[in-house]
Amino acid sequence: MNLGIRNPVAKGFFYILLLLWTVSVIYPLLWTLLDSLKDNEQFFIHAPWSLPRFPLLWSNFSYVWSKYNFNTYFVNSLIVTVGSTVLGLLLSAMTAYVLARYTFRGSNFLYLLYIASMMIPFILALIPLFFLMNSMHLINTKLGLIFVYASSLLAFGIFVLAGFFKSLPKELEESAQIDGASHFGTFFRIMLPLAQPGLVTVAIINVLNIWNEYVVGTIIVNDPTQYTLPIEIAVMQQEMQYRTEWGPLFAALLVTIVPVLIMYILFQRKIASGITAGAVK
Amino acid sequence: MNSGSSKLQRNIFIASFIIPTFVFYCIFTVYPVLQGLYYSMFDWSGMSQHKEFVGFRNFKDLFHDPIVWKAIGNDYFLVVGKVIGIMTIATFFAVALTRFRFKLAGFFRSIFFIPNILSVVVIGVLWNFIYNPQIGFLNGFLSLFTKDTVSITWLGFTSHTIWMLLPPTIWAGIGFYMILLIAAIQNIPDSLYEASELEGANQWHQFSKITIPLVWEQMKVSILNIMMTTLNGSFVIVWIMTQGGPDNSTQVMGSYLYQMAFQQYHFGYGASIGVLILVLSLITTVALQRLLRHETVELG
Repeated sequence: MNLGIRNPVAKGFFYILLLLWTVSVIYPLLWTLLDSLKDNEQFFIHAPWSLPRFPLLWSNFSYVWSKYNFNTYFVNSLIVTVGSTVLGLLLSAMTAYVLARYTFRGSNFLYLLYIASMMIPFILALIPLFFLMNSMHLINTKLGLIFVYASSLLAFGIFVLAGFFKSLPKELEESAQIDGASHFGTFFRIMLPLAQPGLVTVAIINVLNIWNEYVVGTIIVNDPTQYTLPIEIAVMQQEMQYRTEWGPLFAALLVTIVPVLIMYILFQRKIASGITAGAVK
Repeated sequence: MNSGSSKLQRNIFIASFIIPTFVFYCIFTVYPVLQGLYYSMFDWSGMSQHKEFVGFRNFKDLFHDPIVWKAIGNDYFLVVGKVIGIMTIATFFAVALTRFRFKLAGFFRSIFFIPNILSVVVIGVLWNFIYNPQIGFLNGFLSLFTKDTVSITWLGFTSHTIWMLLPPTIWAGIGFYMILLIAAIQNIPDSLYEASELEGANQWHQFSKITIPLVWEQMKVSILNIMMTTLNGSFVIVWIMTQGGPDNSTQVMGSYLYQMAFQQYHFGYGASIGVLILVLSLITTVALQRLLRHETVELG
Protein backbone atom coordinates (compact mmCIF):
# COMPACT_ATOMS: atom_id res chain seq x y z
CA MET A 1 0.00 0.00 0.00
CA ASN A 2 2.72 2.46 0.94
CA LEU A 3 4.73 3.01 -2.19
CA GLY A 4 7.47 5.10 -0.64
CA ILE A 5 8.72 8.23 -2.29
CA ARG A 6 6.93 9.00 -5.54
CA ASN A 7 8.45 12.30 -6.56
CA PRO A 8 11.20 11.26 -9.00
CA VAL A 9 13.40 14.28 -8.22
CA ALA A 10 13.31 13.60 -4.49
CA LYS A 11 13.88 9.94 -5.15
CA GLY A 12 16.88 10.67 -7.35
CA PHE A 13 18.32 12.99 -4.72
CA PHE A 14 18.06 10.36 -1.99
CA TYR A 15 19.57 7.76 -4.29
CA ILE A 16 22.57 9.98 -4.86
CA LEU A 17 23.08 10.40 -1.10
CA LEU A 18 22.94 6.64 -0.62
CA LEU A 19 25.41 6.10 -3.44
CA LEU A 20 27.79 8.72 -2.04
CA TRP A 21 27.84 6.99 1.33
CA THR A 22 28.39 3.66 -0.40
CA VAL A 23 31.45 5.13 -2.09
CA SER A 24 32.71 6.57 1.20
CA VAL A 25 32.57 3.08 2.71
CA ILE A 26 33.86 1.02 -0.20
CA TYR A 27 36.52 3.40 -1.40
CA PRO A 28 38.82 3.25 1.66
CA LEU A 29 38.83 -0.54 1.36
CA LEU A 30 39.56 -0.41 -2.34
CA TRP A 31 42.20 2.23 -1.71
CA THR A 32 43.84 -0.06 0.87
CA LEU A 33 43.98 -2.83 -1.71
CA LEU A 34 45.39 -0.59 -4.46
CA ASP A 35 47.96 1.04 -2.17
CA SER A 36 49.11 -2.32 -0.87
CA LEU A 37 50.42 -2.96 -4.39
CA LYS A 38 52.46 0.24 -4.78
CA ASP A 39 56.06 1.16 -4.13
CA ASN A 40 57.12 4.33 -2.29
CA GLU A 41 57.80 6.31 -5.42
CA GLN A 42 54.20 5.96 -6.54
CA PHE A 43 52.94 7.33 -3.23
CA PHE A 44 54.92 10.51 -3.63
CA ILE A 45 54.61 11.19 -7.33
CA HIS A 46 51.11 10.14 -8.27
CA ALA A 47 47.69 11.17 -7.01
CA PRO A 48 46.47 9.10 -4.05
CA TRP A 49 43.74 7.52 -6.16
CA SER A 50 46.02 6.56 -9.03
CA LEU A 51 46.06 2.89 -9.93
CA PRO A 52 49.16 0.92 -8.95
CA ARG A 53 51.75 0.56 -11.67
CA PHE A 54 52.46 -2.76 -13.33
CA PRO A 55 53.95 -5.07 -12.32
CA LEU A 56 51.87 -5.03 -9.13
CA LEU A 57 53.92 -5.28 -5.98
CA TRP A 58 52.40 -8.43 -4.50
CA SER A 59 55.71 -8.78 -2.72
CA ASN A 60 54.45 -6.25 -0.13
CA PHE A 61 52.36 -9.07 1.26
CA SER A 62 55.15 -11.60 1.50
CA TYR A 63 57.29 -8.81 2.93
CA VAL A 64 54.96 -8.05 5.87
CA TRP A 65 54.28 -11.74 6.29
CA SER A 66 57.92 -12.69 6.77
CA LYS A 67 59.96 -9.53 7.47
CA TYR A 68 57.36 -7.93 9.71
CA ASN A 69 56.43 -11.30 11.26
CA PHE A 70 52.76 -11.03 10.37
CA ASN A 71 52.66 -14.81 10.34
CA THR A 72 53.27 -14.66 14.11
CA TYR A 73 50.76 -11.87 14.77
CA PHE A 74 48.13 -13.55 12.64
CA VAL A 75 48.49 -16.81 14.56
CA ASN A 76 48.53 -14.92 17.89
CA SER A 77 45.31 -13.12 16.95
CA LEU A 78 43.76 -16.40 15.88
CA ILE A 79 44.66 -18.23 19.09
CA VAL A 80 43.55 -15.38 21.34
CA THR A 81 40.29 -14.84 19.44
CA VAL A 82 39.30 -18.50 19.31
CA GLY A 83 40.45 -19.20 22.86
CA SER A 84 38.61 -16.31 24.48
CA THR A 85 35.47 -16.81 22.40
CA VAL A 86 35.20 -20.50 23.29
CA LEU A 87 35.93 -19.91 26.98
CA GLY A 88 33.65 -16.88 27.21
CA LEU A 89 30.85 -18.64 25.37
CA LEU A 90 31.00 -21.79 27.52
CA LEU A 91 31.00 -19.84 30.78
CA SER A 92 28.25 -17.47 29.72
CA ALA A 93 26.08 -20.27 28.28
CA MET A 94 26.24 -22.24 31.54
CA THR A 95 25.34 -19.25 33.67
CA ALA A 96 22.72 -18.01 31.22
CA TYR A 97 21.00 -21.40 31.21
CA VAL A 98 20.83 -21.64 34.98
CA LEU A 99 19.65 -18.04 35.32
CA ALA A 100 16.99 -18.56 32.66
CA ARG A 101 15.68 -21.91 33.91
CA TYR A 102 16.23 -22.20 37.65
CA THR A 103 15.18 -19.86 40.38
CA PHE A 104 17.27 -19.83 43.51
CA ARG A 105 18.15 -17.30 46.14
CA GLY A 106 20.12 -14.46 44.57
CA SER A 107 19.47 -15.50 40.97
CA ASN A 108 17.85 -12.19 40.06
CA PHE A 109 20.55 -10.24 41.80
CA LEU A 110 23.23 -12.18 39.93
CA TYR A 111 21.58 -11.48 36.59
CA LEU A 112 21.31 -7.77 37.36
CA LEU A 113 24.92 -7.69 38.48
CA TYR A 114 26.11 -9.00 35.12
CA ILE A 115 23.86 -6.65 33.18
CA ALA A 116 24.70 -3.61 35.30
CA SER A 117 28.40 -4.17 34.81
CA MET A 118 27.93 -3.41 31.13
CA MET A 119 27.45 0.20 32.25
CA ILE A 120 30.81 0.44 34.05
CA PRO A 121 33.59 1.97 31.95
CA PHE A 122 36.15 -0.76 31.43
CA ILE A 123 38.89 1.84 31.23
CA LEU A 124 38.66 2.13 35.02
CA ALA A 125 39.92 -1.45 35.24
CA LEU A 126 42.87 -0.91 32.93
CA ILE A 127 45.52 0.08 35.48
CA PRO A 128 44.65 -2.60 38.07
CA LEU A 129 44.45 -5.17 35.27
CA PHE A 130 48.05 -4.47 34.38
CA PHE A 131 49.18 -5.12 37.96
CA LEU A 132 46.90 -8.11 38.38
CA MET A 133 48.28 -9.74 35.25
CA ASN A 134 51.77 -8.91 36.39
CA SER A 135 51.30 -10.59 39.76
CA MET A 136 49.72 -13.64 38.08
CA HIS A 137 52.63 -13.84 35.60
CA LEU A 138 50.19 -13.39 32.74
CA ILE A 139 51.84 -10.30 31.25
CA ASN A 140 53.00 -11.00 27.69
CA THR A 141 51.06 -14.24 27.45
CA LYS A 142 48.24 -15.21 25.15
CA LEU A 143 46.60 -16.90 28.12
CA GLY A 144 46.43 -13.55 29.92
CA LEU A 145 44.71 -11.96 26.95
CA ILE A 146 42.34 -14.91 26.65
CA PHE A 147 41.29 -14.62 30.32
CA VAL A 148 40.65 -10.88 30.19
CA TYR A 149 38.83 -11.04 26.86
CA ALA A 150 36.70 -14.02 27.88
CA SER A 151 35.69 -12.19 31.03
CA SER A 152 34.79 -9.07 29.07
CA LEU A 153 32.47 -11.17 26.87
CA LEU A 154 30.46 -12.62 29.76
CA ALA A 155 27.89 -9.89 30.37
CA PHE A 156 26.82 -9.65 26.74
CA GLY A 157 26.77 -13.43 26.34
CA ILE A 158 24.73 -14.01 29.48
CA PHE A 159 22.28 -11.29 28.50
CA VAL A 160 21.61 -12.59 24.99
CA LEU A 161 21.73 -16.31 25.82
CA ALA A 162 19.49 -16.04 28.89
CA GLY A 163 16.90 -14.45 26.61
CA PHE A 164 17.44 -17.25 24.13
CA PHE A 165 17.12 -20.08 26.68
CA LYS A 166 13.94 -18.50 28.03
CA SER A 167 12.42 -18.65 24.57
CA LEU A 168 12.93 -22.42 24.25
CA PRO A 169 9.91 -24.55 25.21
CA LYS A 170 9.99 -25.94 28.75
CA GLU A 171 8.44 -29.26 27.74
CA LEU A 172 11.71 -30.37 26.19
CA GLU A 173 13.54 -30.38 29.47
CA GLU A 174 10.64 -31.91 31.32
CA SER A 175 10.41 -34.85 28.97
CA ALA A 176 14.18 -35.27 29.04
CA GLN A 177 14.11 -35.43 32.81
CA ILE A 178 11.24 -37.87 32.82
CA ASP A 179 13.37 -40.03 30.54
CA GLY A 180 15.97 -39.98 33.28
CA ALA A 181 18.43 -37.41 31.97
CA SER A 182 20.39 -35.60 34.65
CA HIS A 183 20.57 -31.79 34.83
CA PHE A 184 23.94 -31.96 33.14
CA GLY A 185 22.73 -34.36 30.47
CA THR A 186 19.73 -32.17 29.71
CA PHE A 187 21.95 -29.14 29.27
CA PHE A 188 24.72 -30.66 27.18
CA ARG A 189 22.65 -33.05 25.08
CA ILE A 190 19.43 -31.12 24.59
CA MET A 191 19.51 -27.45 25.50
CA LEU A 192 22.97 -26.55 24.22
CA PRO A 193 22.38 -27.99 20.72
CA LEU A 194 18.99 -26.24 20.60
CA ALA A 195 20.60 -22.96 21.54
CA GLN A 196 22.98 -23.19 18.62
CA PRO A 197 21.57 -20.21 16.69
CA GLY A 198 21.96 -17.98 19.75
CA LEU A 199 25.43 -19.34 20.45
CA VAL A 200 26.53 -18.67 16.89
CA THR A 201 25.28 -15.09 17.04
CA VAL A 202 27.07 -14.36 20.30
CA ALA A 203 30.22 -16.11 19.07
CA ILE A 204 30.40 -14.04 15.91
CA ILE A 205 29.93 -10.72 17.69
CA ASN A 206 32.60 -11.78 20.17
CA VAL A 207 35.03 -12.84 17.46
CA LEU A 208 34.66 -9.46 15.73
CA ASN A 209 35.28 -7.60 19.00
CA ILE A 210 38.29 -9.63 20.05
CA TRP A 211 39.95 -9.74 16.64
CA ASN A 212 39.81 -5.93 16.60
CA GLU A 213 40.69 -5.25 20.24
CA TYR A 214 43.60 -2.94 20.93
CA VAL A 215 43.55 -1.21 24.35
CA VAL A 216 43.76 -4.20 26.69
CA GLY A 217 46.16 -5.85 24.30
CA THR A 218 48.61 -3.00 24.29
CA ILE A 219 48.61 -2.82 28.08
CA ILE A 220 49.07 -6.51 28.78
CA VAL A 221 51.45 -7.25 25.93
CA ASN A 222 54.72 -5.46 25.24
CA ASP A 223 56.78 -8.35 23.95
CA PRO A 224 56.69 -8.18 20.13
CA THR A 225 56.46 -11.96 19.77
CA GLN A 226 53.10 -11.87 21.57
CA TYR A 227 51.52 -8.98 19.64
CA THR A 228 48.13 -9.37 18.02
CA LEU A 229 47.41 -7.76 14.65
CA PRO A 230 45.93 -4.43 15.88
CA ILE A 231 48.84 -3.90 18.27
CA GLU A 232 51.36 -4.46 15.49
CA ILE A 233 49.45 -2.17 13.10
CA ALA A 234 49.61 0.64 15.66
CA VAL A 235 53.33 0.02 16.27
CA MET A 236 54.00 -0.16 12.54
CA GLN A 237 52.29 3.17 11.96
CA GLN A 238 54.53 4.74 14.60
CA GLU A 239 57.63 3.33 12.92
CA MET A 240 56.58 4.88 9.61
CA GLN A 241 57.83 8.21 10.93
CA TYR A 242 61.36 6.85 10.67
CA ARG A 243 61.10 4.60 7.67
CA THR A 244 58.57 4.95 4.92
CA GLU A 245 57.14 1.65 3.85
CA TRP A 246 53.62 2.68 2.94
CA GLY A 247 52.96 -0.26 0.64
CA PRO A 248 53.69 -2.85 3.32
CA LEU A 249 51.62 -0.88 5.85
CA PHE A 250 48.60 -1.06 3.55
CA ALA A 251 49.26 -4.76 2.98
CA ALA A 252 49.28 -5.17 6.77
CA LEU A 253 45.94 -3.36 7.06
CA LEU A 254 44.47 -5.67 4.46
CA VAL A 255 45.72 -8.78 6.26
CA THR A 256 43.86 -7.52 9.35
CA ILE A 257 40.68 -6.55 7.49
CA VAL A 258 40.15 -9.55 5.20
CA PRO A 259 39.30 -12.19 7.84
CA VAL A 260 36.54 -10.07 9.44
CA LEU A 261 35.28 -9.05 6.03
CA ILE A 262 34.90 -12.70 5.02
CA MET A 263 33.17 -13.41 8.30
CA TYR A 264 30.81 -10.49 7.73
CA ILE A 265 29.92 -11.67 4.25
CA LEU A 266 29.15 -15.15 5.57
CA PHE A 267 27.23 -14.16 8.70
CA GLN A 268 25.61 -10.78 8.01
CA ARG A 269 22.20 -11.76 9.32
CA LYS A 270 23.58 -13.22 12.53
CA ILE A 271 25.57 -10.08 13.20
CA ALA A 272 22.55 -7.84 12.70
CA SER A 273 20.39 -9.96 15.00
CA GLY A 274 23.13 -10.05 17.64
CA ILE A 275 23.35 -6.27 17.62
CA THR A 276 19.62 -5.79 17.96
CA ALA A 277 19.44 -8.37 20.74
CA GLY A 278 22.37 -6.85 22.59
CA ALA A 279 21.48 -3.20 22.33
CA VAL A 280 17.96 -3.42 23.69
CA LYS A 281 18.88 -3.53 27.32
CA MET B 1 14.46 -41.07 43.47
CA ASN B 2 13.78 -39.36 46.76
CA SER B 3 13.33 -35.62 46.74
CA GLY B 4 16.26 -34.97 49.08
CA SER B 5 18.88 -36.38 46.75
CA SER B 6 17.25 -34.80 43.72
CA LYS B 7 17.31 -31.45 45.48
CA LEU B 8 20.97 -31.98 46.25
CA GLN B 9 21.65 -32.84 42.62
CA ARG B 10 19.86 -29.72 41.55
CA ASN B 11 21.91 -27.56 43.88
CA ILE B 12 25.16 -29.18 42.79
CA PHE B 13 24.20 -28.53 39.21
CA ILE B 14 23.33 -24.88 39.82
CA ALA B 15 26.50 -24.27 41.79
CA SER B 16 28.75 -25.92 39.24
CA PHE B 17 27.27 -23.80 36.45
CA ILE B 18 27.20 -20.50 38.32
CA ILE B 19 30.35 -20.47 40.40
CA PRO B 20 33.14 -20.88 37.78
CA THR B 21 31.75 -18.03 35.71
CA PHE B 22 31.25 -15.86 38.75
CA VAL B 23 34.72 -16.46 40.16
CA PHE B 24 36.27 -15.81 36.77
CA TYR B 25 34.24 -12.64 36.38
CA CYS B 26 35.15 -11.40 39.84
CA ILE B 27 38.87 -11.91 39.25
CA PHE B 28 39.16 -10.35 35.81
CA THR B 29 36.42 -7.72 35.80
CA VAL B 30 34.92 -6.87 39.19
CA TYR B 31 38.16 -6.90 41.15
CA PRO B 32 40.07 -4.64 38.71
CA VAL B 33 37.20 -2.13 38.69
CA LEU B 34 37.14 -1.98 42.49
CA GLN B 35 40.94 -1.81 42.58
CA GLY B 36 40.70 1.16 40.23
CA LEU B 37 38.62 3.01 42.80
CA TYR B 38 41.11 2.05 45.50
CA TYR B 39 44.26 3.06 43.58
CA SER B 40 42.80 6.50 42.93
CA MET B 41 43.46 7.31 46.59
CA PHE B 42 47.21 6.74 46.32
CA ASP B 43 50.27 8.53 45.13
CA TRP B 44 52.01 5.68 43.42
CA SER B 45 54.55 5.36 40.65
CA GLY B 46 53.63 1.72 40.18
CA MET B 47 57.25 0.69 39.94
CA SER B 48 58.19 0.99 43.60
CA GLN B 49 56.75 -0.75 46.62
CA HIS B 50 56.08 2.66 48.07
CA LYS B 51 52.46 3.57 47.82
CA GLU B 52 51.37 6.61 49.76
CA PHE B 53 47.76 7.02 50.79
CA VAL B 54 46.68 10.53 49.87
CA GLY B 55 42.90 10.29 50.18
CA PHE B 56 41.21 12.62 47.76
CA ARG B 57 44.31 14.61 46.90
CA ASN B 58 44.47 13.18 43.38
CA PHE B 59 40.99 14.49 42.77
CA LYS B 60 41.94 17.90 44.12
CA ASP B 61 44.91 17.87 41.73
CA LEU B 62 42.63 16.82 38.86
CA PHE B 63 40.51 19.83 39.59
CA HIS B 64 43.52 22.15 39.20
CA ASP B 65 44.96 20.41 36.15
CA PRO B 66 44.14 22.45 33.02
CA ILE B 67 44.71 19.41 30.77
CA VAL B 68 41.95 17.54 32.59
CA TRP B 69 39.52 20.34 31.85
CA LYS B 70 40.67 20.38 28.24
CA ALA B 71 40.16 16.61 28.06
CA ILE B 72 36.68 16.79 29.57
CA GLY B 73 35.78 19.52 27.09
CA ASN B 74 37.06 17.40 24.21
CA ASP B 75 35.20 14.32 25.43
CA TYR B 76 31.92 16.19 25.50
CA PHE B 77 32.70 17.88 22.19
CA LEU B 78 33.03 14.41 20.68
CA VAL B 79 29.87 13.20 22.44
CA VAL B 80 27.80 16.09 21.10
CA GLY B 81 29.35 15.95 17.63
CA LYS B 82 28.90 12.19 17.37
CA VAL B 83 25.34 12.19 18.70
CA ILE B 84 24.29 14.86 16.20
CA GLY B 85 26.25 13.40 13.28
CA ILE B 86 25.49 9.74 13.85
CA MET B 87 21.84 10.11 14.83
CA THR B 88 21.00 12.42 11.93
CA ILE B 89 22.66 10.30 9.28
CA ALA B 90 21.71 6.92 10.76
CA THR B 91 18.06 7.94 11.12
CA PHE B 92 18.01 9.23 7.58
CA PHE B 93 19.47 6.00 6.22
CA ALA B 94 17.22 3.83 8.38
CA VAL B 95 14.11 5.64 7.11
CA ALA B 96 15.36 5.70 3.53
CA LEU B 97 16.08 1.96 3.57
CA THR B 98 12.76 0.99 5.11
CA ARG B 99 10.03 3.53 4.33
CA PHE B 100 11.19 4.83 0.97
CA ARG B 101 11.08 1.41 -0.67
CA PHE B 102 14.30 1.75 -2.59
CA LYS B 103 15.43 -1.11 -4.70
CA LEU B 104 18.89 -2.15 -3.50
CA ALA B 105 17.93 -1.32 0.10
CA GLY B 106 19.44 -4.61 1.23
CA PHE B 107 22.65 -3.87 -0.63
CA PHE B 108 23.05 -0.41 0.91
CA ARG B 109 22.32 -1.79 4.33
CA SER B 110 25.04 -4.44 4.05
CA ILE B 111 27.58 -1.95 2.77
CA PHE B 112 26.87 0.75 5.35
CA PHE B 113 27.63 -1.60 8.20
CA ILE B 114 31.15 -2.47 6.99
CA PRO B 115 33.03 0.25 8.97
CA ASN B 116 31.62 -1.32 12.14
CA ILE B 117 33.48 -4.57 11.59
CA LEU B 118 36.85 -2.83 11.29
CA SER B 119 39.24 -2.37 14.19
CA VAL B 120 39.44 1.19 15.49
CA VAL B 121 43.17 0.91 14.89
CA VAL B 122 42.57 0.16 11.21
CA ILE B 123 40.10 3.05 10.97
CA GLY B 124 42.56 5.42 12.63
CA VAL B 125 45.42 4.44 10.32
CA LEU B 126 43.18 4.73 7.24
CA TRP B 127 42.01 8.20 8.20
CA ASN B 128 45.55 9.25 8.99
CA PHE B 129 46.22 8.58 5.35
CA ILE B 130 43.20 10.56 4.26
CA TYR B 131 44.55 13.51 6.28
CA ASN B 132 48.24 12.96 5.45
CA PRO B 133 49.73 16.29 4.28
CA GLN B 134 51.99 14.88 1.53
CA ILE B 135 50.43 11.72 0.22
CA GLY B 136 46.92 12.05 1.61
CA PHE B 137 43.66 11.77 -0.21
CA LEU B 138 42.10 14.98 1.10
CA ASN B 139 44.93 17.28 -0.01
CA GLY B 140 45.19 15.40 -3.29
CA PHE B 141 41.51 15.94 -3.87
CA LEU B 142 41.60 19.63 -2.97
CA SER B 143 44.60 20.13 -5.24
CA LEU B 144 42.39 19.26 -8.19
CA PHE B 145 40.61 22.58 -7.69
CA THR B 146 43.59 24.82 -6.98
CA LYS B 147 46.58 26.02 -8.93
CA ASP B 148 49.12 25.11 -6.28
CA THR B 149 49.38 21.80 -4.54
CA VAL B 150 47.46 21.86 -1.28
CA SER B 151 49.53 20.66 1.66
CA ILE B 152 47.51 21.33 4.76
CA THR B 153 48.57 19.46 7.89
CA TRP B 154 45.04 18.58 8.91
CA LEU B 155 46.01 17.14 12.25
CA GLY B 156 48.44 19.92 13.12
CA PHE B 157 46.32 22.78 14.43
CA THR B 158 45.83 23.14 18.17
CA SER B 159 42.55 24.98 17.57
CA HIS B 160 40.92 22.67 15.02
CA THR B 161 42.39 19.20 15.16
CA ILE B 162 39.66 17.89 17.47
CA TRP B 163 37.19 18.62 14.65
CA MET B 164 39.14 16.29 12.39
CA LEU B 165 38.38 13.40 14.73
CA LEU B 166 34.65 13.71 14.14
CA PRO B 167 34.47 12.43 10.53
CA PRO B 168 36.21 9.10 11.24
CA THR B 169 34.22 8.43 14.40
CA ILE B 170 30.92 9.33 12.77
CA TRP B 171 31.81 7.33 9.66
CA ALA B 172 32.64 4.34 11.84
CA GLY B 173 29.49 4.55 13.96
CA ILE B 174 26.66 5.01 11.45
CA GLY B 175 26.10 1.37 10.48
CA PHE B 176 25.53 0.05 13.98
CA TYR B 177 22.88 2.63 14.91
CA MET B 178 21.29 2.36 11.48
CA ILE B 179 20.77 -1.38 12.04
CA LEU B 180 19.17 -0.69 15.43
CA LEU B 181 16.80 1.90 13.99
CA ILE B 182 15.93 -0.27 11.00
CA ALA B 183 14.89 -3.06 13.38
CA ALA B 184 12.79 -0.60 15.37
CA ILE B 185 11.09 0.83 12.29
CA GLN B 186 10.32 -2.65 11.00
CA ASN B 187 8.46 -3.33 14.22
CA ILE B 188 5.98 -0.55 13.50
CA PRO B 189 2.81 -2.09 12.08
CA ASP B 190 2.23 -1.24 8.43
CA SER B 191 -1.41 -0.48 9.19
CA LEU B 192 -0.40 2.77 10.91
CA TYR B 193 1.27 4.02 7.77
CA GLU B 194 -1.58 2.79 5.59
CA ALA B 195 -4.14 4.66 7.68
CA SER B 196 -2.14 7.87 7.55
CA GLU B 197 -1.70 7.42 3.82
CA LEU B 198 -5.47 7.30 3.40
CA GLU B 199 -5.73 10.54 5.31
CA GLY B 200 -3.31 12.08 2.85
CA ALA B 201 -0.24 12.33 5.10
CA ASN B 202 2.98 12.84 3.17
CA GLN B 203 6.36 11.22 3.91
CA TRP B 204 7.41 14.01 6.25
CA HIS B 205 4.23 13.74 8.29
CA GLN B 206 4.60 9.99 8.51
CA PHE B 207 8.19 10.44 9.62
CA SER B 208 7.50 13.04 12.30
CA LYS B 209 4.14 11.74 13.54
CA ILE B 210 4.61 7.97 13.32
CA THR B 211 8.20 6.89 12.87
CA ILE B 212 9.97 9.20 15.33
CA PRO B 213 7.53 8.76 18.26
CA LEU B 214 7.49 4.99 17.80
CA VAL B 215 11.24 4.56 17.62
CA TRP B 216 11.98 7.20 20.28
CA GLU B 217 12.86 4.57 22.87
CA GLN B 218 15.41 3.09 20.46
CA MET B 219 16.83 6.52 19.70
CA LYS B 220 17.20 7.18 23.39
CA VAL B 221 19.11 3.91 23.83
CA SER B 222 21.28 4.85 20.86
CA ILE B 223 22.11 8.32 22.20
CA LEU B 224 22.99 6.90 25.61
CA ASN B 225 25.10 4.25 23.96
CA ILE B 226 26.99 6.79 21.84
CA MET B 227 27.64 8.84 24.99
CA MET B 228 28.94 5.83 26.93
CA THR B 229 31.15 4.45 24.19
CA THR B 230 32.55 7.91 23.46
CA LEU B 231 33.45 8.73 27.07
CA ASN B 232 34.96 5.28 27.58
CA GLY B 233 36.42 4.52 24.21
CA SER B 234 37.49 7.67 22.34
CA PHE B 235 40.96 7.04 23.64
CA VAL B 236 41.82 4.55 20.89
CA ILE B 237 41.04 6.75 17.90
CA VAL B 238 42.75 9.69 19.63
CA TRP B 239 45.78 7.59 20.44
CA ILE B 240 46.15 6.27 16.91
CA MET B 241 45.51 9.54 15.11
CA THR B 242 46.96 12.33 17.27
CA GLN B 243 48.27 10.86 20.55
CA GLY B 244 46.40 13.68 22.24
CA GLY B 245 48.40 16.32 20.40
CA PRO B 246 49.27 18.79 19.12
CA ASP B 247 50.00 20.33 22.51
CA ASN B 248 47.27 18.36 24.31
CA SER B 249 44.62 19.91 22.09
CA THR B 250 42.96 16.55 21.31
CA GLN B 251 43.54 14.97 24.70
CA VAL B 252 40.52 13.06 26.01
CA MET B 253 40.19 11.61 29.50
CA GLY B 254 41.06 8.10 28.32
CA SER B 255 44.22 9.14 26.50
CA TYR B 256 45.27 11.27 29.45
CA LEU B 257 44.75 8.30 31.76
CA TYR B 258 46.91 6.13 29.52
CA GLN B 259 49.60 8.77 29.25
CA MET B 260 49.69 9.48 32.99
CA ALA B 261 49.74 5.81 34.01
CA PHE B 262 51.64 3.93 31.36
CA GLN B 263 53.99 6.60 30.07
CA GLN B 264 54.62 8.82 33.07
CA TYR B 265 54.02 6.24 35.79
CA HIS B 266 51.56 8.25 37.84
CA PHE B 267 49.33 5.25 38.36
CA GLY B 268 47.38 6.74 41.24
CA TYR B 269 46.65 9.88 39.29
CA GLY B 270 45.73 7.82 36.23
CA ALA B 271 43.33 5.75 38.32
CA SER B 272 41.66 8.91 39.60
CA ILE B 273 41.07 9.94 35.97
CA GLY B 274 39.37 6.55 35.54
CA VAL B 275 37.10 7.33 38.48
CA LEU B 276 36.35 10.72 36.94
CA ILE B 277 35.28 8.98 33.72
CA LEU B 278 33.01 6.68 35.73
CA VAL B 279 31.44 9.57 37.64
CA LEU B 280 30.90 11.68 34.54
CA SER B 281 29.40 8.70 32.64
CA LEU B 282 26.92 8.08 35.44
CA ILE B 283 25.98 11.76 35.80
CA THR B 284 25.58 12.14 32.05
CA THR B 285 23.46 8.98 31.83
CA VAL B 286 21.06 10.30 34.45
CA ALA B 287 21.00 13.78 32.89
CA LEU B 288 20.39 12.42 29.40
CA GLN B 289 17.65 10.13 30.60
CA ARG B 290 15.87 13.10 32.14
CA LEU B 291 16.43 15.24 29.09
CA LEU B 292 15.21 12.61 26.66
CA ARG B 293 12.15 11.66 28.67
CA HIS B 294 9.23 11.72 26.40
CA GLU B 295 5.85 10.10 26.53
CA THR B 296 6.66 6.75 25.00
CA VAL B 297 4.00 5.40 22.75
CA GLU B 298 3.24 1.79 23.53
CA LEU B 299 1.89 -0.35 20.77
CA GLY B 300 -1.31 -2.02 21.79
